Amino acid sequence: MGIKGLTKLLADNAPQSMKQETLESYVGREIAIDASLSIYQFLIAVGRNGTGMLTNEAGEVTSHLHGLFSRTIRLLEAGLKPVYVFDGKPPDLKRQELAKRSLKRSDATEDLAAAIESGDKEDIEKFSKRTVKVTKQHNDDCKLLLKLMGLPVVQAASEAEAECAALCKRGKVYAVSSEDMDTLTFGAPRFLRHLMGPTTKVPVVEYDIEKILTELNLNMDQFVDLCILCGCDYCPTIRGVGGKTALKLIRQHGSIESILENINRQRYPIPENWMYEEACHLFREPLVSSDDQQPDITWTGPDEEGLKKFLVEENGFNHYRVTKAIQKIEVSNKSSQIRLTSSKQVVSSPFLERKEAKCILGASELPIKSKVFSQGYLKPTNYGYEIEELAAILQKFLPQLSKSLSQSYSSQQGRRKGWE
Amino acid sequence: MLELRLVQGSLLKKVMESLKDLVNDANFDCSATGFSLQAMDSSHVALVALLLRSEGFEHYRCDRNISMGMKLENLTKILKCAGNDDIITIKGDDGGDTVTFMFESPSQDKIADFEMKLMDIDSEHLGIPDAEYQAIVRMPSAEFARICKDLSTIGDTVVISVTKEGVKFSTKGDIGTANIVCRQNTTVDKPEEATVIEMQEPVSLTFALRYMNSFTKATPLSSTVTISLSSELPVVVEYKIAEMGYIRFYLAPKIEEDEEDTKPQV
Repeated sequence: MGIKGLTKLLADNAPQSMKQETLESYVGREIAIDASLSIYQFLIAVGRNGTGMLTNEAGEVTSHLHGLFSRTIRLLEAGLKPVYVFDGKPPDLKRQELAKRSLKRSDATEDLAAAIESGDKEDIEKFSKRTVKVTKQHNDDCKLLLKLMGLPVVQAASEAEAECAALCKRGKVYAVSSEDMDTLTFGAPRFLRHLMGPTTKVPVVEYDIEKILTELNLNMDQFVDLCILCGCDYCPTIRGVGGKTALKLIRQHGSIESILENINRQRYPIPENWMYEEACHLFREPLVSSDDQQPDITWTGPDEEGLKKFLVEENGFNHYRVTKAIQKIEVSNKSSQIRLTSSKQVVSSPFLERKEAKCILGASELPIKSKVFSQGYLKPTNYGYEIEELAAILQKFLPQLSKSLSQSYSSQQGRRKGWE
Repeated sequence: MLELRLVQGSLLKKVMESLKDLVNDANFDCSATGFSLQAMDSSHVALVALLLRSEGFEHYRCDRNISMGMKLENLTKILKCAGNDDIITIKGDDGGDTVTFMFESPSQDKIADFEMKLMDIDSEHLGIPDAEYQAIVRMPSAEFARICKDLSTIGDTVVISVTKEGVKFSTKGDIGTANIVCRQNTTVDKPEEATVIEMQEPVSLTFALRYMNSFTKATPLSSTVTISLSSELPVVVEYKIAEMGYIRFYLAPKIEEDEEDTKPQV
């Protein structure tokens, strides 16, 4: 699942790229959600007690429906517009990983049987969680529920994370919510974690891919290479190379190709038939639906009767709870909060004019972040400064820049004198 | 070099009280004309603009334009240490990364110094375009605060409608509905108790009460409030700060749709 150790790597090396937000900050925003992953989480977490799970009268599991229903209502109440994206056909490269997972699952099933026999409650809990598998039935139930709630459902061509990232890149949604870090590798501009968490107490964490690249000082292709070296779902890794070494190697050599040429193969054995190129390709150009293949993303009203029939009659939900929830969906549908800045991008805005860029010297590219830039000396509004004074201040931080500034000053002086 | 001396120290305390619920951190901009702040709340629904002109200070020296990033929570903590009658002086050095607040008691027998670390805050500087408003309502600020507070016990949103008759605030919630109408009333003893409505054309807009209630935290700053409304524009709730400037809150409206199908703008 995801990219091994990327969270920690980013926290250590690109702390500015992540910020904590509240649910309310995303009012009015369209958010693409990796549904398959969420359903898996619900099956593990919602209403579990030993091997027992929430079921309807027929004994079918309903944990995923309970989880999805209540979580979605919470998002709608906060004014968000969720778009659920379901996994399509897994890419061929993932087969190996999937086979591994299914092996683990069957191991866990055996362990579970043993645990039940010995009656060890903790073990029963632990192993029964590991046997959870999201079936087609679960997915179909959830799709039906979402359609009845009037929410858009997107079927991904292949990996849901890739599809989410593509939607976000095209500007169809504001951000992508998943727990899977490889969403970033697929290039989602804005990536949210913990949005679907069990409580609102854990703040949402927003990752900004541009800031990640700036802070790590890598380009997107190098970032993909970095993720593959860390360990992804699609190919094995070089033994002995973790996040830290991977970052060092990429910074040193620039790409996996050049690392392979230069690395000490004795110390770091390269896996046989290493399919890293295919994995690269998969991340850079994943299989996603094209613009016209995907139906318009629309939010319609809830189907009250359909919902009641499906949830209350077929799946044993509390009638009062469902009625209350339907009201909430209707309210959230009818009124929507406008933002001062446009709902798609932070930059353009229906009400506000964007003033000139704050800092004329492009502080984001400078290796040091000095107080001079943030304190507004270099804002276009501060014309009070003479170039000499500026140069003196800058001298402390950027000797080179100050040199070129004083040169341009003297050449200006020269020109002015000539003119006079 | 920055040195601002404000005799009415309580004013700064009141300003902070009205800001701290809305904005977490902000850049305070000092220039020769005055001390100003512009910030949006985290959800980009509301914006606050504050201006304290240099003439309002007993002593105002600002050699260079300075932008000081502060966490409002920390600033509030420090200002809480100032007495209501204290004289507050704000001091800063060019290029320094701290700001100093000095509190002097009126009798000059106690002087307190607080130095606070500044922060780097990324904030977009957005210009607010001048606009013509369809309706402008001036009313006692306490009255407006009371209305917002009362309505929020019933519902989450308020519909503000201005017609020839007056201005109507209405809401509805689980337990029922509420309507409060204020008529134009200029025949009062004190001018600040008047309700004045200037209307070009009728207008009706919906807003989240949560934000309105946080704006009314500025009520102690001014006895009157001016509400400017125009469809398609954010409402402006302005509290004038006597002889110094203003604090203005901008709030984007909510859109209520009657049709079942709500199409997002894709």
